[in-house]
Amino acid sequence: MIMNRLFASLLKGTVVLLLMLGVQSFSFAQRTVTGTVKEAGTGEALIGATVLVKGTTHGTITDIDGHFTLDVPAGNDVLEISYTGFGTEEVTIGNSNTVDVSLTAGKALEEVVVTGYGSQRRKEVTSAVTSIKAEDFNKGAITSPAQLLQGKVPGLIIAKPNGDPNGGFSIRLRGLSTIGGNTEPLIIVDGVPGASLSSVDPNDIESMDVLKDGSAAAIYGTRGSNGVILITTKKGIEGKTTIEYSGIASSESLARTPDVMTAAEYKAVGGKDQGASTDWFKTITRSAIQHQHNLALSGGAKGLAYRAAFNFKDVPGVLINSGFKQLNGRLNLTQKALNNKLTVGLDIAATNRNQQNAFNDAFKYATIFNPTAPVLDSKNVTNGGYFEPGGFDYYNPLAIVKQNQSSGVLNTLLSTIHGEYEIFKGLKYSLSYTLGRNNGGGGTDNAFSETYISKQSAYGTGVGRNGLASRQTSNAKNDYLSSTLSYLFKFSNVEFSALAGYDYQKFTYDGFGLQGGNFLTNAFTNNNIGASQDFPRGLGNVYSYKNSNKLIAFFGRLNANLNDTWFASASVRREGSSRFGANNKWGVFPAVSAGVNLSRLLDISGLDNLKLRVGYGVTGANISQDYLSQFQYGPTGNFYYNGNYVPTYGPISNPNPDLKWERKGETNVGVDFGFGGYKITGSVDYFHRNINDLLYNFQVPVPPNAFNRTWANVGKLNSSGLEALVSLNNLKLGGLKWTPSVNATFYLDNTLVSLSKGDLKFGSGGYVDLADVGSPGLNNFYMIRVQEGGKIGQITGPQYTGVDAAGNPTYKDFNGDGKGTTDDKTVLGNGLPTMTLGFNNNFTLGRWSLNAFLRGAFGHSLVNQFRIFYENRNAGSIQSYNRINTRLAVPAVKNAAFSSLYVEKGDFMRLDNMQLGYNLPVKGVFNRAFIYLAGNNLFTITKYTGVDPEVRFGDSEDNNNPLSPGIDRRSNYITTRAFSLGVNLGF
Amino acid sequence: MKNILKYSKVLLVAGCLLAFNNSCTNLDEELYSTVTFDNFFKSDEEFIAALGAAYSSLIGLMGNHNTTWSAQEVSSDELMIPQRGGDWYDGGQWLRMYRHEYLPTEDAFNNSWGDLFKGVSACNRLIEQFSAITGDKAAAAKAFIAELRAIRALDYYLLLDMFGNVPIVTSFKTADAAPATQSRAAVYAFVEKELTESLPDITSEVTGATYARMTKWAVNGLLAKLYINAERYTGTAQWDKAITASDAIINSGKYSLEDNFFNNFRTDNAGSKENIFAIPYDKVFAQGFNLPMMTLHYESQKTFNLTEQPWNGYCSVEEFYNSFDANDSRKRSFLAGPQFNSAGKQLTDAGAEASDPDGAGLNFTPAINEHYPNCLRQAGVRIGKFEFASGATRDLSNDFPILRLSDIMLIKAEALFRKNAGDATALALVNQIRNRAGATPLTSLSADVLLAERGREMFAEGWRRQDLIRFGKYAAARKWKPADAKPCLDIFPIPTAQINANKNLKQNPCY
Repeated sequence: MIMNRLFASLLKGTVVLLLMLGVQSFSFAQRTVTGTVKEAGTGEALIGATVLVKGTTHGTITDIDGHFTLDVPAGNDVLEISYTGFGTEEVTIGNSNTVDVSLTAGKALEEVVVTGYGSQRRKEVTSAVTSIKAEDFNKGAITSPAQLLQGKVPGLIIAKPNGDPNGGFSIRLRGLSTIGGNTEPLIIVDGVPGASLSSVDPNDIESMDVLKDGSAAAIYGTRGSNGVILITTKKGIEGKTTIEYSGIASSESLARTPDVMTAAEYKAVGGKDQGASTDWFKTITRSAIQHQHNLALSGGAKGLAYRAAFNFKDVPGVLINSGFKQLNGRLNLTQKALNNKLTVGLDIAATNRNQQNAFNDAFKYATIFNPTAPVLDSKNVTNGGYFEPGGFDYYNPLAIVKQNQSSGVLNTLLSTIHGEYEIFKGLKYSLSYTLGRNNGGGGTDNAFSETYISKQSAYGTGVGRNGLASRQTSNAKNDYLSSTLSYLFKFSNVEFSALAGYDYQKFTYDGFGLQGGNFLTNAFTNNNIGASQDFPRGLGNVYSYKNSNKLIAFFGRLNANLNDTWFASASVRREGSSRFGANNKWGVFPAVSAGVNLSRLLDISGLDNLKLRVGYGVTGANISQDYLSQFQYGPTGNFYYNGNYVPTYGPISNPNPDLKWERKGETNVGVDFGFGGYKITGSVDYFHRNINDLLYNFQVPVPPNAFNRTWANVGKLNSSGLEALVSLNNLKLGGLKWTPSVNATFYLDNTLVSLSKGDLKFGSGGYVDLADVGSPGLNNFYMIRVQEGGKIGQITGPQYTGVDAAGNPTYKDFNGDGKGTTDDKTVLGNGLPTMTLGFNNNFTLGRWSLNAFLRGAFGHSLVNQFRIFYENRNAGSIQSYNRINTRLAVPAVKNAAFSSLYVEKGDFMRLDNMQLGYNLPVKGVFNRAFIYLAGNNLFTITKYTGVDPEVRFGDSEDNNNPLSPGIDRRSNYITTRAFSLGVNLGF
Repeated sequence: MKNILKYSKVLLVAGCLLAFNNSCTNLDEELYSTVTFDNFFKSDEEFIAALGAAYSSLIGLMGNHNTTWSAQEVSSDELMIPQRGGDWYDGGQWLRMYRHEYLPTEDAFNNSWGDLFKGVSACNRLIEQFSAITGDKAAAAKAFIAELRAIRALDYYLLLDMFGNVPIVTSFKTADAAPATQSRAAVYAFVEKELTESLPDITSEVTGATYARMTKWAVNGLLAKLYINAERYTGTAQWDKAITASDAIINSGKYSLEDNFFNNFRTDNAGSKENIFAIPYDKVFAQGFNLPMMTLHYESQKTFNLTEQPWNGYCSVEEFYNSFDANDSRKRSFLAGPQFNSAGKQLTDAGAEASDPDGAGLNFTPAINEHYPNCLRQAGVRIGKFEFASGATRDLSNDFPILRLSDIMLIKAEALFRKNAGDATALALVNQIRNRAGATPLTSLSADVLLAERGREMFAEGWRRQDLIRFGKYAAARKWKPADAKPCLDIFPIPTAQINANKNLKQNPCY
């Protein structure tokens, strides 16, 4: 009976909650409280500390002198004061109207950590979760949220080995943990899984929390194996109206270009003199000036809190005709009602991005194009006056970027309505619905792109096709509904927090595209593809597609806290995916973890915090494409029947009703510590991952199979590593305060234990070779060997020993046949790093601040493709292509081949970003004015002879295949360096 | 407790029910742009489309680089792909193929195996589906089944010729998960049985409606090719059977020699009176005949106004080119000498080697300076037998003849010659072919003369390897190639990838 009544009232709550926007809440009598927030010990003012009335969104922030003034509604007498890196203090104000608070640096135990479907205080967390607040984000010319975290989180590598303003980042948490699924962490924006990163502007992010181990990520089930990054955007504070503006202008230029020969050097080695002297990199690039602006309004009253932000970016790339402009707007709004029992909120973010996509090949041809060649040739009418001498795979780099165009439009919308109703003290029901629209990576953008290759372009079959236009759109829709029941209760002296929930999520993708050539004029570019003569002749291409997938889950979690000393957490998620085969539709993903704060049990002077944690969790990695378990039919060409061509249909996939998720079990053991009044703080974590049921697309015999490849769950991968983070907080050097912070990750193991089962065999001898060197002349030459029992990422090939009289490289004999040939292969390196390092230094001196962040990766090797193809002194090739001329060049080598000669150590340490800032004294309407100079990618210490020693996580010429890392391919937008001037103003 | 859980669940799902009706716990996949096996085969049109899958698997065989045709040709004495400086080394596959040092891992073998068995599988599936048809459509189904058995026999004939010992699979639904290798003799017997048994039910009509489809004549043509090579496949010669099968075609009156040899290879060669069975390539509908890409020089793009830049790969072997008399019109099967753009101006090659004696002016010389690593980029005459239409894409519209009347005539001549070296009919048949080409008639035949004549007539049509094997010349030393190290290289290796996928496959001897 009770349950029935409860249920009825809950349903009522649900309906109320859905209809509630616009309902006014009650107003309260209130009083004004003032106070100061200072640092314990030094007594220095803390600027920008948050002061909140406990249990509400009503609050303010401290000014330049640490002062605040806050209207506190009657009936409330507890304030929560927090400051990043200093933790949170609760102060009971009683009858007093002034409050002075001291916070301790490094004592972040009360800070809120977002853990998915809820949050915990730092002291209660028993799994591996790293939380980075806005103050600690990377500085300078930042255009994507991923950049904010780069190098900051132990175990998380974010790499972008190129300078393409439209290029993406590779994000890898704790090494590779899937080979057949998506390798990137799950991104969650304000609770919405799979939301697009492009829906969030970096300026609007409050914090990013990274769920690293299995016990933390298991609540995300089939998507938890690569870790989870939870992005929380900034929210408004009721009672404190602010207007903030930040702006930055940056100048970007190429950081380093390949060591190609100058015209004089080229002629000296026998290159063909074409009479001019051209620096092709200078010719195709420019100094790119970008600017970004962010305007945010926030405030609220009477239960309403809002923050509205508007962002604009104009980011041209250094390559001519590349870059983007982006507009983004966001509104986060919450309204409390029904005696604060009901909270209804709305989060809306929209982005419009216009891209000019780069022709990356221009960099490849700038490297190999004859340095004595002129840029223009007025007699060459066919190619629009550009110098185009012909030859294989050889085009004028400037003509590529000037004659042709490629652009894209991206529109993303992420809108969530959410409500929470407190049924009785401690029990809350919440419901949210999200509609997202977007593209790629499981997110939500309407993408539209178009390319036009000019009738005069030698590159891209422009002349051959007589102009070539293409246009495509792709849409993604993300429907997400989530409901949870949470209950806080105390039993004896144990505090419990319980959660039960249901998730429904459907992704729908569709797209349309067409391509046609043969135009009378370049005038239309893509805007009148109907003018293409290819369509009436049957040579145009048109396609469209649509697919969808669904995830449904039930989940629960119970957290316990005994006296702030003993902690435990257990969770389980039962989740199903439409992608799984009929026999395995649902999986169960459990996790447990526990911790103890020894500092509360031991009486050791100077020991502030010593918490041991241990956790185990099971997560999954979903299949990467829809319908792989089905026996699908599709068009397989045409055949000649009764004098006409008619379409034929045949199998395009084999059925596998057993297909399911990859399953990862992960153990994590960690310790958090703080000593000497939180002067030294940090944490150390060890993880061990066992991944089973790896997905692989196996070759199978036809017949009996209808199709020659089948996706199956087979295989096992083990990995382990050690992460450490240590900070020394506010070391005093006279008036100067220095906070150095080091994080290091050691990747101890990443072994493919097996990838075969029964008849599904993984290559003869238990290996397959990947990463073809490629054309010209080096097809069927592989650089990566994936071997059962071996590590992932092994660069494998012949060991160079010298060069013979004919200029051919000689190799070491490994197979014992007395001859060293290209068949004598050995492991030459590994494309994945064994260690990564982040070293942050924050200095403050009065109003001055300086932040310098160094980032490094060690132990990885790179195959330098430019050197393989263009460093040899082959007479024929010298006539055709410019030469690379690094310190590793062996002039006697005449022929292109792949060997250890071209495998280089990629170890590097880089001054990733540095910012020098000054807080201007303000009065009147201003409450903050901060100006700064910043630099990004200022210098790199490395022995690598290529352009950028950054880790390559996947082969860019093989769909970023994660099994073949470490290949530095040729068509790469060269990495850049930026200098910026910025200002942040608060009113 | 149970109730609490139940109500909690109802409550949690309630929101979903409001928004999405009844799909809140349903995980069935929704398909939009593909279909599943279960919801296909509902209409007649879908049946025809399914039948097409048996033919469309032939598309890959002859016109593509790196599959059946490439392996059959580069292992012979008429074509090669030399390593041209930095170009075309490609792991050494084409050097090994020419030198008969091929490995079971070569891509061309695996691609060929995949194409052929894909065809076998499609035929098996369709035969089972058509066999289930009863009632009025049963008669039509019977003809379809005969046609499918003949297509499957063509696939198996090529498997027999290339790989020799392969599994014989005739069922789709009940096929063995790992079918075992069968002997070459068993495969031979299977092909013979399938072809013979399909003859009564297959059409004898030769019209536009049966073009590029299996007919009685195509089946006889395959039988002729099977029997002429029978001695190599089984150890027992079948000259009489080869003559009978050839005669069935020659005496049918359905085919005659084209006056102009090159009519058989034109862009629009569908009307050839000589082609018995062809793969009906088309630049739009049946893409995959990439010959201009494979053989022409980069600069030749401007000769034919091609939409794409060719790859400068395949060229003919100098000695083979020299086996053509100057007055033999078939010598135009090659592109040789200086090359011009479409306006008649000689092309220049910016990438020409300083050591090229002809300089930068593009000139296809018969002489090949070396096989590897520094064959000159302009060296070697190119395949010009098939017309390259001006403005062609990478996909030619020329149909590729698999069976041609002159081939059948030469088979009959050869079988007669094997029985009696002085056979007058044999000489007459060969001279009929030579007359058409304007070549001087022969006065007598010898094995060498017959082989050379077959070479001139059948150049680049994919049969040279089996001809060399039959005449005992495959293993011999040639320029750039030593004599075969082992005697059993006339059967290709079973591809490594296939052995990995099927534990019951046995590698051929020699590998």
